[in-house]
Parts: sequence; C-alpha cells; structure tokens
Amino acid sequence: MSAILAQLLTGVAYGMLYFMIAAGLTIILGVMNVVNLAHGTLFMLGAYIAFTFINDELSFWISLLLAVFLTAVLGLVLEKWLIKPVYGKELEQVLLTFGLSFIIADTVEWIWGTEMHTLPTPDLLSGSLSIGSTEFPVYRLFVVLVGCLLAWLLWYLETKTRIGAIIRAGVDDRAMVSALGVNVGLVFTGVFAFGAALAGLSGVLGGPLIGMYTGMDNEILVTSLIVVVIGGLGSWKGSFIGAIAVGVIETFGKVWFPSLSMLIVFLIMMMVLIVRPQGLFGREVV
Amino acid sequence: MRKTKGFWKRAMGMMVMAALLMTAGCAQSNTSSGSGSDKGNGGDSGGSVKIGFILSQTGTFAPLSEGIINGFQLYLEQHNGMLGGKKVEMKVEDDEANPQVALRKYRQLVHGEKADILVGPISSAVAYALRDEVEKDKKVLIDANAAGDDLSWSKKSDYVYRVSFSNWQNGSSTAKYLAEQVGKKAVILAPDYPAGKEVLRAFKVTFEAAGGKVLKEIYPKLNTNDFAPYLQQASAEKPDFIYAFFTGSDGIRFITQYKEFGLKGKIPLTGSLEFGDELLTQPTGEAAEGIIAGINYSPYLDNEQNKQFVEAYKEKYGKLPNIFAVQGYDSAAAIDQAINKAGSLNSQDLIKVLKGISLDSPRGKITIDPATHNPVQNFYISKNVLKDGAIVPQIMETVENVKMPEDSPF
Repeated sequence: MSAILAQLLTGVAYGMLYFMIAAGLTIILGVMNVVNLAHGTLFMLGAYIAFTFINDELSFWISLLLAVFLTAVLGLVLEKWLIKPVYGKELEQVLLTFGLSFIIADTVEWIWGTEMHTLPTPDLLSGSLSIGSTEFPVYRLFVVLVGCLLAWLLWYLETKTRIGAIIRAGVDDRAMVSALGVNVGLVFTGVFAFGAALAGLSGVLGGPLIGMYTGMDNEILVTSLIVVVIGGLGSWKGSFIGAIAVGVIETFGKVWFPSLSMLIVFLIMMMVLIVRPQGLFGREVV
Repeated sequence: MRKTKGFWKRAMGMMVMAALLMTAGCAQSNTSSGSGSDKGNGGDSGGSVKIGFILSQTGTFAPLSEGIINGFQLYLEQHNGMLGGKKVEMKVEDDEANPQVALRKYRQLVHGEKADILVGPISSAVAYALRDEVEKDKKVLIDANAAGDDLSWSKKSDYVYRVSFSNWQNGSSTAKYLAEQVGKKAVILAPDYPAGKEVLRAFKVTFEAAGGKVLKEIYPKLNTNDFAPYLQQASAEKPDFIYAFFTGSDGIRFITQYKEFGLKGKIPLTGSLEFGDELLTQPTGEAAEGIIAGINYSPYLDNEQNKQFVEAYKEKYGKLPNIFAVQGYDSAAAIDQAINKAGSLNSQDLIKVLKGISLDSPRGKITIDPATHNPVQNFYISKNVLKDGAIVPQIMETVENVKMPEDSPF
C-alpha cells in the first residue's frame, strides 16, 4: 500500500514540475494569445544557467535565484524585440517561437556540450522521509510544496490584486482595458517575463530530478502542451489538475507498462478532447 | 480587438498539432549533431598505420569513450607514437550510440579515410551492426568495449576480437557468491537494451542454478534520468538484495538516487563490474559505499604492470584510470603485438595471430580465447569501502580465469 502511495507522491512531484512550466505557458497564452513554443527552451536554459553557477561553487539557492532572474530578463528581451511585432499574427508567432527554440537549443549545445548533466540536490533537502515501509526523498516533497505555493500565489494574484483584475479584464476585452488607461503593452511584457521566470524556476527545480540533456526542451514542451490541452487553454487551474494527472499517469505508466507510458498520456489527451473539446477548465468553444 | 471564439478553437488545434509534431521531432533529435574530432599524430609515409575509432561521445556512454581514448593515447605515448614499428594516426568518430550513424561513420573511416584497423565501439547494438560490414570488407575490428554475447557465439566473426569482457562474464561472475553469501531473493534491474538484457539473463541463470530466486526483472529505458518509480517498485518486493547493471551517466544517477531514496544500508546493492569501477565510484563517492560488484580491474590491483600503468595515467590525466582506460590501453597493446607478430597490416595475416594472443594487461594476464574471441580473465568479488574520502574496492574473493562457454547456453 505504501509502495503505491510513494509512487503517487513521485507522480505528484513530477506533476508540480509540469504545472510550474505549463502555468507560464498557459498564462502567456491566456493573456496575450501567444503560443510560445520556445517555452521548453527557457526551461532548459534555466537548468543550464543554474548548473554553471553551481559549478562556480555558488550555493543551490543563489544559483536558483540568478537563473530565474536571468530567464525572466531573457523573456523580457524576447517579448520586446521579437514577439511584439507579431501580436495578433498566430502563424508568425508559432513559426517565430519555434525557430527561436531551435536557435537557443543549438546555442545551449554549443556552450554546454551534449553530455548529460544533473544538478545536485541541495544539502538542506538531501535526506529522505519514511512513508510506511518505503522512503521518500525530502527534495521531492519540497517540489510539491513549491508547486502548491505557486498555485496559491496565482490564485491570490488573480482574485485579490489589481494586476489580476486588469489581466482578467484584459483577457475578456482588451480594447476596453486600454480605453481605461491601462498600459496593456507593459502588462504583456510583465506577463511574458513572469512566464519565462516560471519556466526557469521549473528548470532549476527539475534539474536534480530529470537532469539536463539535449532534447529535454522538446520533451518538456510536449508534456506541457499536453497538460495545457487537457487542462484547458488559458486556465492555470486547468494546468494544475492536468499536470498532476499527467505526472501521476506517467509514473504509473512507467511501472506497469514501461514502454507505453507516453502513449497512455496521449490517449488521455485524446479522450479529454473527445469528451470536452475545450479541455477540463477551458472556456466554451462554439 | 475582441477575441473571437474561433481563436480558442484554432489555438487548441495548434497546441495538439505542436505536441504531436514535437514528439516526432524528439525521436529524431537523438540523432542530431556531433562530428568526429581528428587527433592525428602526423605520421610519415611508408611505415604508418591508420586506426579508426568508432565510439559514443554523446549521451550516457561519453565517459566510457573518453577512458578508451585516454588509455590508447597513454600506450602510444609510452611507445613513441608507434604500434608494431609503425607511426600511428588516430581518427576518432562519434556514433552517438546509434547503429545507423555508426555505419555512416564506418564507411567514412574505411572507404574515405582508408583506415587500416578499427577500434570500438561502446554499444553492443552498434557492434552487431558493424560486425556484418567488417566481415564483408575484411577489416580487423578490435572490440574495445561492446560486450554483446553473440559476438562470441552466433555472430562470431574472424575479424572481430574483444579485449574487454562479455555480458555473460559480467553478469555471471558474482551470481554464485551472492546466492551463497548475501541472499536467495533478488530484484534485478538494467537498461532496456541488448546489453542490459544479456547481463541480467546471465545473472539470472547462474543465480537460479545456485539456488537463488529472481523476484522481479525491471528494465528502465536507456538514458533514464529519474529512477524513482523503479527504485520504489524494486524495494516494494522486499528482496534480500538488488542486483543492477548500469553504466556511464545512468549508473551515476542510479547509485546517487539509491541513496536519496534511503535504500542504501537497508537493501544491499550489488551489481556488474561498473559498480566497483572508478567511472562510477569516483563521481558518486560515499553513495557507492557498500556496493558489492564483480570487477575485473581496479587501480588498486597489486601487480607490477598495474602500478606503472596507474602511475603514468595519474601523471598524464590527473586521475585514477578505470576499466575503460585499461581497455583502450589493451586495444593498443593487442594491435602492437599483432602487427609485430604478423609483420604486416594485412587483415588475413593479422587475424591469424590475434587468435590466442596474450596480453600482460594492468588487470593481469588476459588471453583472447580462440574459440570465442573473448578474453579469459580473472574477476574479483569486491565491496566498496571508504578510505580517506575515496571509494576503494576491497577484494573478498577471486574468481579465476572466467571463460565464456563456447556455445550459447540460452
């Protein structure tokens, strides 16, 4: 029994990681109507940046902060210089961000090489806790905690703050919000940088769990796209539920059908699309 | 500017399409990039020999390839850059552990570069693919690592000679000892690829013949980052011990996570020779303490050849050699001896002397068995102990002259 519980926890920890990255993706989509296919690359970049700082003997936490900050700055630059000119042009956006993901991925390969790396678990969180007869690493519980905190933060920002009200209003009627004198462009830039920071954060936190290797950006992007589709576009609540579902299904898939785990995730996505084409928490599509 | 409802529908469609496309892309991205590096030694005309290396310099096998190259170069340095009295030119290619890429690199080396002798590969799958080509082209391949059993059985070739070890030797060497000394119930794990299956197959058959019972076999995919689900699955079976075969970065992660999950000290971990080798014990450090492995080499082995080798290796590379460095060193030694004995670079002459060749390797004397083209060598059952901050394999029992059966017992 406790074995199943431990597997479940492992799945939830993955789920939280997927949530952190999918939340950024879906918020950018919901607020700005941009499908950012370079999002997985920002995830990868976050992990590699932290890796460099940790190798320079900086602590895990300082490296984490620096990596999150730098990915946010990069997000800011990307939005200002590249995304802004193509607002409202969906195909151009997709091609642009897709191309960008290749450029960044190749740069990462050029700088850090093709070998696989792993981030070390911070000393503070390196132990494990007994859960019944099995043990569970503290670090993974920490990832679950961070995921929950993020969900709370998003809820708070959305419902309790002015910026949340602006964003909610902006999603429904952008022209109205700008007419009220809100600088929508600034809000967009901020949202994009926030999304990038989330990608960077999940990259660093995921480093000790899933390691760093070429191609990880695409793998994680696929998973987070699936999460967003299952959860419903533009809804972070949907991403939360979708991410946990995908994480848990993937983990149990690895145990019971090792070679089919990804296929099962796709099957779940298809089922959701058939039953509820807009995703679990998506808005009505007519 | 009001968003149309159609946007969400189109966006949804785009997301699904992108997810599908990227998955297809993922499968391909494994084979992108990477080019060979040239490490030539000049090489005058007349008495020169060109040696083509097909190794895996990306992914989990990269550290193994590095060891082989280091060992080979050390041997060359000690012999004035010559093998069999001929100046050596090395050409190194990366096969990315992919048989298709390996075949392309092979053709480049053999037909383009006109390499005389080949050394490599790391992966058994690559070795099986190369085997048919060298047979056709009549090129000598010194197998510096790939341990696929069938290279000695149904796919034995007159042109392929192994200086490393076979999966059968690796998997079976410790099984009897573990059944008698550690426990009768085991869960076994290895990556889901030919070598993984072969090592576990050899272990299982020998272990069960000695009265043991395998409770569960678990095969994570190659290049697994996170062993969490598998470790939990293994410990849930409540075995007397866990036996595992992982190498390169997979092995490092496995050993580290074994400790992270609190299994270290609870369920004994035992494994293939890699688990007692510097390649894994050095980066994992304390996490590797207590692992029982069946090794065929250690820098602490007490023989004159090894002492000199370790000294020279440490001086050149600033670290202790691992088994893969020895395999590189022995590949060079085998080629050296074969050219000297045959007095030519002709494959037909070389293969006559390669059968039964004996090397004074740093791991002790090894002999290429003419029946299997696989080295007969000692294995040592060892336990990793922590000494002055470094992991040292403490030898508990010697299994002498482990020899592969002539025909497949499976």
